[in-house]
Amino acid sequence: MSGTPTSRWVERWNAYWFPATPLLHLAICRIVAVATQLFWFPPDLGEHVNLLEKNPEFIEPQLIVRIISAVMPAEVFFTPSVITGLYWLTFAAGVLALVGLFTRTSLFVFAAGTWIFVAHLFSYGDRHHTEALFCIFLLLLALAPSGDRLSVDALIRRRRRRMRDPDGLSGMAVWPLKVMHVLFALTYFSAGMSKLLHSGTRWLNGYTLRGHTFGDALERGHPLGIWLAQQHELAVALSVFTILLEVFFFVSLFLPRFAPLFIAAALAFQIGLYVSAGYDFFQHIVLLTLLLFFLRPEWWQSRLGRRVPDLTPELSSRA
Amino acid sequence: MTGSRRRALTSAVIVLVIGLHAVPVLYRNERGTLWPFMQWSMYKNSRKAGPIDTRQRRILAISSRGVTDTVTPHLLGLSITVLKQRYLVPMATGDLSPAPELMQRLNRDRADPVVELRLESETYTITDTGIVRTNDPVVVYRPDVAGSR
Repeated sequence: MSGTPTSRWVERWNAYWFPATPLLHLAICRIVAVATQLFWFPPDLGEHVNLLEKNPEFIEPQLIVRIISAVMPAEVFFTPSVITGLYWLTFAAGVLALVGLFTRTSLFVFAAGTWIFVAHLFSYGDRHHTEALFCIFLLLLALAPSGDRLSVDALIRRRRRRMRDPDGLSGMAVWPLKVMHVLFALTYFSAGMSKLLHSGTRWLNGYTLRGHTFGDALERGHPLGIWLAQQHELAVALSVFTILLEVFFFVSLFLPRFAPLFIAAALAFQIGLYVSAGYDFFQHIVLLTLLLFFLRPEWWQSRLGRRVPDLTPELSSRA
Repeated sequence: MTGSRRRALTSAVIVLVIGLHAVPVLYRNERGTLWPFMQWSMYKNSRKAGPIDTRQRRILAISSRGVTDTVTPHLLGLSITVLKQRYLVPMATGDLSPAPELMQRLNRDRADPVVELRLESETYTITDTGIVRTNDPVVVYRPDVAGSR
């Protein structure tokens, strides 16, 4: 390889983050992510208004709320009427982002609105992890060319220029998924290591998992978790699986050929957490499903033993 | 915008998004308020070998007309975590000092004021023969009765 060490690192960096991949996949990710946020995970307007009406001030304001309050007094912005207006603005932006009209702008407004709603909800002394990565992904989609396919914008562009559907590859079409892959690795590693550093190997004793599962499954009415809490050997095995998955998920960054297997294991893990004890990381499930299919689509094609010419003609021509 | 410039800007975004996840680790005092950049130390506590049990708790608010409401996060306008930390756990351990504040909060906009709070709980224990439920003593707070239990 020629060039200076710096240029070689830049080449490697670009080869990792910006390989040519189908814009179609990114467009599908946009549609799935926006549709699920719009119709599956929308903010509960009634809950936000209830919080505003019953609390004269925030208990633990999130950074985003503090930034907004620094620009505009909280008693002006965080009112039921403004929050209701923001809700409908965010919804409208989401619909535009879904159909791909003014895609970048509408996606950005949709992501920003969604961030504000989550930050507002978590400013009353409670916070959860379920929304974080998904909201980051929504924002990254606004920065990527996710409206270049399967969108009204693309249709208008083609009509104006009388072009055929470009069906193109782009070097900017997969980096949001790759960022998500890295963030999953980081967050799983953090979750796994905190268990080991805080509790050591006692976390693997089976009693820990049974205790966590029993309390939450009983409260949320998940009979599978109540049954699991009574199976000691299975609880030990699942504890070991949890720690191995969380601590070693990052290996999938360095073994990209096996990444879909790690992602499938993580997907099974998240689904298992929900059905057993009601840990509703649905946003993780959606993201992991997108990663499973679109981070390395060629993995599926080679496993299926055939190309899918209608879906990814670019890959066929590249091969 | 040229391809290399676009890649450079996107690279800056990538580094920023990943790098910001270090902030909650470095600034421990602010770690709870930096959403979506968070610490992911979930369910890190372990449990000693021994019987598996759990408690189900609820606070009931009884009004002057005898109407009973379960105190929920929605009724209170607080999250479930705050409800547990501020009221459920202390009252379950016999500490009734948060009860006046809870009652005041409940009575803010009520025509029919709450006059009594009752904390009920059950303990569920996994035994060799199945799950055993035990009712715990009820904790009662009435503002007109000093030190009510």
